[in-house]
Amino acid sequence: MAKTLESTELHEQTVLDTPWVTLVWNDPVNLMSYVSYVFRSYFGFSREEADRRMLQVHNDGRAVVATGSREEMERHVEAMHDFGLWATLQKADA
Amino acid sequence: MTPFSKTRDGVLVVGFSTVESDIIADLAAQIAGMLAPLASTSDADPLYDLVGIGGSASIDPDPAIARLLPDAYGDDSEAAGDFRALTERSLASRKVANARAVIATLERGRGTVELSAAEAQSWLRTLSDIRLTIAARLGIQSDGDEGATDSDAAVALHDLYDWLAFVTESLLDALED
Repeated sequence: MAKTLESTELHEQTVLDTPWVTLVWNDPVNLMSYVSYVFRSYFGFSREEADRRMLQVHNDGRAVVATGSREEMERHVEAMHDFGLWATLQKADA
Repeated sequence: MTPFSKTRDGVLVVGFSTVESDIIADLAAQIAGMLAPLASTSDADPLYDLVGIGGSASIDPDPAIARLLPDAYGDDSEAAGDFRALTERSLASRKVANARAVIATLERGRGTVELSAAEAQSWLRTLSDIRLTIAARLGIQSDGDEGATDSDAAVALHDLYDWLAFVTESLLDALED
């Protein structure tokens, strides 16, 4: 079994890592209502929050929809690609 | 088309004419056919094969396939290639499975199509994949682009593209009912 000390060190390492973000990019094809639906059904955003981020995608060309570990962001990006949304991940400070 | 509605037990019901039903089934079959080579597991390590890991080294030159299976890393082509090599096959397989699920529900329905919640999710994803593919063929690249309108075929494709948006809106409305 792992010792408590090792777990603590691992946790600190995770926290100190630069976080990654999932970006969704604007495309001329997917409907605004669909993008908002995906944000609500997949990320669990409220309608207000989903609409806010959907409009950010629409108006600014992209929006951050999630922040976390690289592995988590890879899972989110794959899920967005399943929906046909154009998504990428990158380091938060990039 | 009779728009989607949701029954009390959560089943989504829609009515299509034979022509409409055939068109959607044909388009879904085209998506499945286009992505099937990328979803196949012929050249992989047997262990990778078993768990569905695998993929191309780089993004596909066909703009429609490139849009359906895009790079996951926008600013790092090496990471994008590595990620694609591990995940592209399973992403393509899921898209093929969704398209085939759409065809199966249409064949089962013969006019009146009833969808479970899971089947409705396959429909949403496949409708998006079909519209993305049509947009790539018409050259619609950014907001406000009209795309090609220079032939009867292009005009017909535009009509189809708009009608599929209507089908999507109708399904979303019913899902949120």
